[in-house]
Amino acid sequence: MAGLQTTVFSILIITAVIIVFLIFINGKLKKFDPMDEPKGIVLLMMVAVQTIDNMVKEKTNEKVARTLTPYMLTVALYLFMANISGLFALETPTSNYSVTLVLAAITCILIEVYSAKARGTKSYIKTWFEPFAPFVVLNLFSKMSTLLSLSLRLFGNILSGGILMSVIYQMLASVSKMIPFMGEFNILGVVVAPVLHFYFDLFSGAMQAFIFITLTISFIGKELPKE
Amino acid sequence: MEKALIAFAATLCVLGGCITGLMEGKIAIKAVESIGKNPDAADKVQSMAIIGAAISETCAIYCLLVAFLIIFILGA
Repeated sequence: MAGLQTTVFSILIITAVIIVFLIFINGKLKKFDPMDEPKGIVLLMMVAVQTIDNMVKEKTNEKVARTLTPYMLTVALYLFMANISGLFALETPTSNYSVTLVLAAITCILIEVYSAKARGTKSYIKTWFEPFAPFVVLNLFSKMSTLLSLSLRLFGNILSGGILMSVIYQMLASVSKMIPFMGEFNILGVVVAPVLHFYFDLFSGAMQAFIFITLTISFIGKELPKE
Repeated sequence: MEKALIAFAATLCVLGGCITGLMEGKIAIKAVESIGKNPDAADKVQSMAIIGAAISETCAIYCLLVAFLIIFILGA
């Protein structure tokens, strides 16, 4: 398949898994009686929705939270699945700069849209020229830096984890060749690598997904005028 | 010889991450201290600490990115 990057396939697989998972959850929720005690996966989903909803409502207002919470939940689910997909022998989508750049660009556009909606068009355009007109260049650069830092943070963390893991695997393979009677079998890799996978894939991946949504929410909350 | 120089340049770049690591530790120290003084504010302090750490981490990530560029573009 010339011209297609390998991450495209892992993106497709992850999207399919998320769709199947959400349809499954939807079926469970439809059967769920509101009077019952929630348990199992229903309880887990309720806690997740409530946590993100509280986070959004704390930083922004009720009106924004109605539209922002579903998007934030989707991004959290997608980023979490994408970051831990290295465990399932897929190429991690977030180690491709296009993916993180698009996610950060959506965040930047959302910041501007919510700011424009909350202020009204006229006073929104005025914010570009604050404190006075020549500052439009500096304002533009400060908005661009949000895009750059948000996308590079996610990309750099996940990519460095992946590169470190592959370097460690190579090192362990060449060390375990020196052990007699084992042949080419990478025995040290089996012992040492799981702990590192736990840190680099699970912990770092969940942490970066959490940081991405926290930063998105607080950047949007910062742009909203105080009532 | 040239490869050694490139590796040395990448190492120098990543050294910028040293200071970031030190100061992110300082963020954690201060967050723990302030939660100890005022346990009611734990939620707010936690989110502020995470945002502060994430933003100051940008510096280290730029260092890492420059190191990658040096290795993969100059070293290739």
